[in-house]
Amino acid sequence: MKASKAIVIMISIAFFIYFLFPIYWTFITSIKQSVDIFSYPPIFFPSKPTFQNYYAPSQEFGAVSLTALNSIPYMISSFAVGLITTIAGTFLIGAPAAYSIVRFAKGGKIFSRMILFMIMVPAAAFIIPFFQIVIHLHLIDTWWGLSLSYLSFTVPFATWMMMGYFYDIPVEVEEAALVDGVSRMRAFYDVAMKMVVPGLTATSILGFITCWNEFLYALILTFSPYNFSFPPVGSQTVPVFISSFVVIEKSFAWGGLAAAGLFTALPSIILGVYAQKYLARGLTLGAVKG
Amino acid sequence: MTKRDKTWFFLLLPAIAYFVIFFAYPIYNLFYNSLTTQSGSITSQNFAYMLRDPYLPTVLWVTLLYVIGAVGLEMLAGISLAIIAQNLASKVRGALQIIAILPLMVPPVIVGLMFLLLYDTNYGPIDFFLRSLGLPAVNWLGSTNLALFSVILADVWRYSPFVFLIIFAALQSVPSHLYEAAMLEGPSRWQMFRHVTLPMIRPALVVALLLDTIGVLKGFDLIYVLEGGGPGLATTVLSYYIYIWGFVYNNAHVAAALSILFLAIVLLIVGLTIKFTKIEEYLGLRRK
Repeated sequence: MKASKAIVIMISIAFFIYFLFPIYWTFITSIKQSVDIFSYPPIFFPSKPTFQNYYAPSQEFGAVSLTALNSIPYMISSFAVGLITTIAGTFLIGAPAAYSIVRFAKGGKIFSRMILFMIMVPAAAFIIPFFQIVIHLHLIDTWWGLSLSYLSFTVPFATWMMMGYFYDIPVEVEEAALVDGVSRMRAFYDVAMKMVVPGLTATSILGFITCWNEFLYALILTFSPYNFSFPPVGSQTVPVFISSFVVIEKSFAWGGLAAAGLFTALPSIILGVYAQKYLARGLTLGAVKG
Repeated sequence: MTKRDKTWFFLLLPAIAYFVIFFAYPIYNLFYNSLTTQSGSITSQNFAYMLRDPYLPTVLWVTLLYVIGAVGLEMLAGISLAIIAQNLASKVRGALQIIAILPLMVPPVIVGLMFLLLYDTNYGPIDFFLRSLGLPAVNWLGSTNLALFSVILADVWRYSPFVFLIIFAALQSVPSHLYEAAMLEGPSRWQMFRHVTLPMIRPALVVALLLDTIGVLKGFDLIYVLEGGGPGLATTVLSYYIYIWGFVYNNAHVAAALSILFLAIVLLIVGLTIKFTKIEEYLGLRRK
């Protein structure tokens, strides 16, 4: 009995290390001085930590190094695109469609199969059409163009999530409202939507995180950073920014890159941990209930 | 809910518009591109070229290896971890659940960056450990034989928590009276798992397997950052190959033909899953 308990403890410690070590290593790289990054044997517990990589650029190998602050214009674009897409995808398109399908039992098999297939479509398979559409609409390198392409995955996802939540609320409350002479539209907006607020929150957060992390569409549809003007010009997002520096700065400015990487991953991580309790449900809708 | 109530239509209208613009039109566009030349005349050349392309078999083979390797390891790690987590104290379990979410939330491009740091041959911690154990250092990213495996390992870090969270939630939801009833028969641990647990978590296993397979198949970010498809074609999966044709060779026509092939593969996987399982019910897209 004692031996097996020890094994369980050891295995769980191994898993904790496995999940945390890559993040820990990136963090200590971001607070190391350049000398310590390129030292052998590698330093696991930096003795002279510095947060310079987060805010103070330095001259390294003849180039000005990156800091976390450089990521701000890209974070603004990521934030704007995530917000536009999440609001349109969840509130304007996904939730009404989900309600319609669930309450009026429309479409049956065909709808559920179409949604399933749309969730599964790989971005790479649609990148050619979206590139041509966005070019044609003169929306290349704008928040709007990128948001358009992001709707291709947020809408099916939001519809799917919201269907689960609408299935779960009792129809009687809306029926009572209808008997009181409220229109169907009002019953949807004022009664049903209020009952699925947790679902809307979870769907929006997960949708936003997906947008924040998306890379392929952003790589193709954007090419300059937001320049703080209005109307906005430039729309490169965080992953495009980081990937371009990975390619350019490979093996010299690791400190600044690690700092920028962690800094820009933070919004996703914080939202994810906040939405933790919804997350398992979002990932497993139906599967658990059978 | 009278028959004359047309509200359902108005609520569905944005989704119908969405469907036309974001799904029907792109598919039309793919067929159009794949069946025309640069000058716009109709041709079957693009598909013919794709089928004769000497690199395509390699790309499909790499894609298959990537999916089998990554999905296999992720399912194995996710399921084992879920079973282990069940036996942990509830505080440790809670902590593990939160920690498992972290890799899922980190943007894949940044996961790529993290693994570039870890895999570094000169200053990286992994090769340091290998050396201190007296083993030779390994060129994780530069060696043709190991490149795909290195990408798979990074993918396993990122995605096995996904399988874990799904399976763990399913295990938690097995009613305890089922176990208590089964105990009366005096089953072995394996029998208990095989005849009580497994049937109950089957839907979750199907969901995890399908979503993980498609998730890996969609993969692009990690490969772009870690390997750029190389060395040679060692990590060029179908996603990446479409990108190369479309935006490195700037040939939208062959890229469109490849995209249709890609969609057909996804359709086949989803279709088989629908045929042999109740996936739509498992995903909550339909109710019994």
